[in-house]
Amino acid sequence: NNSSQLSSLPLQILLYVNGIYYIFYFLTTLAMIIYKSQVFSYPDDFLAPDLAVLFLMAILEVPRLYLGFKGNLTEAEAPLGLSLGLTVGSVVLCVYLLLWQTYVLWADVLLNAVLLSAYGLESGLKVTAIAAFVS
Amino acid sequence: PADARDAAQARVYSAPAPVTDVARLCVCDLLVAQCDANCCCDPDCSAEDFSLFTTCSVPLVIGDSQLCSQKAAVYSLDVEANPPERIFKIIDQVNPSIFCIHATNYKQALYLKSPEIPTAENFDQLLDKFGGATFSAEPDTWNLDTDAQNPPEANETSRYEYGVPVQTEDAFLRLPSPVVSSWCSDANPAGFLVNQATKCIRSVSVKKCDSIQALSMLFYINSSILAAVFQVNITVQSIVVQSLHGMRTLLSSSDVLRLPMVLDELCINAVFGVNYHITHTDTGEIIEAAAAFVLGAISKEELSIEQSFEISFTQENTQPVPLSGNPGYVVGLPVRAGFQPQGYPFPAAFLFASLALSSNKHSQLTILHSTSTQDCLAAQGARAPVLFGYNMISGCKLRITAAMKCQPLAQTLLDVLKGQSFPEYVASFGNSQAQDVLDWVPITQLHISEQMISHTLQSSCQIPVSLGIEVKWTKYGSLVNPQARIVNVTATITTTTLKQLPSGRERIIPITSSVVFTDISSPAEPSYKAWPTINIKLPFDFFYPFV
Repeated sequence: NNSSQLSSLPLQILLYVNGIYYIFYFLTTLAMIIYKSQVFSYPDDFLAPDLAVLFLMAILEVPRLYLGFKGNLTEAEAPLGLSLGLTVGSVVLCVYLLLWQTYVLWADVLLNAVLLSAYGLESGLKVTAIAAFVS
Repeated sequence: PADARDAAQARVYSAPAPVTDVARLCVCDLLVAQCDANCCCDPDCSAEDFSLFTTCSVPLVIGDSQLCSQKAAVYSLDVEANPPERIFKIIDQVNPSIFCIHATNYKQALYLKSPEIPTAENFDQLLDKFGGATFSAEPDTWNLDTDAQNPPEANETSRYEYGVPVQTEDAFLRLPSPVVSSWCSDANPAGFLVNQATKCIRSVSVKKCDSIQALSMLFYINSSILAAVFQVNITVQSIVVQSLHGMRTLLSSSDVLRLPMVLDELCINAVFGVNYHITHTDTGEIIEAAAAFVLGAISKEELSIEQSFEISFTQENTQPVPLSGNPGYVVGLPVRAGFQPQGYPFPAAFLFASLALSSNKHSQLTILHSTSTQDCLAAQGARAPVLFGYNMISGCKLRITAAMKCQPLAQTLLDVLKGQSFPEYVASFGNSQAQDVLDWVPITQLHISEQMISHTLQSSCQIPVSLGIEVKWTKYGSLVNPQARIVNVTATITTTTLKQLPSGRERIIPITSSVVFTDISSPAEPSYKAWPTINIKLPFDFFYPFV
């Protein structure tokens, strides 16, 4: 019944995988910040912004994923639009962690690149889904 | 010129920029304008120098090794070629680890921080931060800690420990003493419980009589001693005035403070000696301090005087009897002796009997002190205390003339040998108390006549010629820390017959007295702790069903 179902299955799969991946990403990035603070010279004024960005991103991720799930399943464009807005904020924070962190390790680059690509794909799918719901 | 100077000053203010190009960095280039041996990166070396090298001491010049990719300068020697030549390459070094630093936004992460160059403006701040013996990364917390530590120190002056300088309001209680030379130095503090007696020379002049501080009584009693909650003032116990000839008189009233002043070309009331007496409790708190002064007069011709100072500490409510060891005798300290009071032999008196002790030198066990004149009759009164462990012998010569009568001579010689008050008991331990009568050893007196079988009559008089004191002592207590204990004291008087001399003749007899310490310790006995007992007991209900 493709005509009656407007919810996007790829978006749902991607959101689900994104949730699991984000938990892994958060724990790994936190562990690496702790590692960096022990091995390198990491003064407090540089450590505080990095940790703040990471926790802010975690706080943003929860409503973003919830709204994405809800919007996609109820075929409502408002939650999906809100989720898209939150995704923009998450992308900005992810770019910060990729480029403007105090120490950017090779593992940081990999993790953030994967997350960034996931966000990009998600955004595309969300736009498509909103277009489908509206029309 | 002003501009050039400013420019030069401006140049000085900044430290040189750090070199980061690996091609120009060389760690082994230590000599300026000279080639360092085996240093392949040294720019001062020529090709001929390189041909003489054996290895490259620095093969790789690299920045931080944790960077993911960076330029590195590689130096190596090609020994196959003839002559050997240096190979210099710049390569891209890649760190394969996943935790390599890809980029860093923190400038000082990879380089050492350039220190601040001191200028006139920041010098004081830099001195505060780095001027001490230590400095930490966070100086603010350090300051807070030291502030908190200051208040508890105020309470510590209440209790003194042995040897700690006695503190007064301004500094320490001073006991002037000779340092290096015989001149008085006022910087010697008196230590708590350290009894000291010092003599030193002070340079004086009658003109400056009232300006020399050390001659005035006030100098020694003006600051009060810090003790417990309050301060203890030093009171004047007594004042003895010494005349120019040396005769001393004790003043009846010691309340008036007598300051030095010039009178008839003499400087009177100058301090010749101070004797401090400090009374303390058994917990180390000072409760009383008194000073006894000897004031004298300085004449115009004297350029220096000898001052003597003494300090002694006594515990409150005790008699100041100096111990000769605790408990065993210490070698070099005087042997303590005393007399028994009347009525000792009765058992009822045991409880109250105590030996009359005093710190008076004349009641100690003493021996005749040889004098320079060596004449027995002229040397009466000179005694030396018997020190534990030191065998001593002394004597004098007696000139006998025909006119001397025997009996008074014998009595005089006995006084010379034994002294005015020869004690009856000697303390067996260095710290024996007068109340413990069993801790005191009686002195056994023996008389030996030199001529036992003589043809002379019994009635002919005997004069004592030698006194020998033999002190037998033993080691007492544990093997690792033996204490000396006196077990037996025997005083032997040897007498000889005085032969009548024809008139006009005289004879010289040597008189000797000696003290000998003999160690009669028995060999150490091993003793064991109580044998371990095996305590086997069956449990209470071992035979339960049957009992």
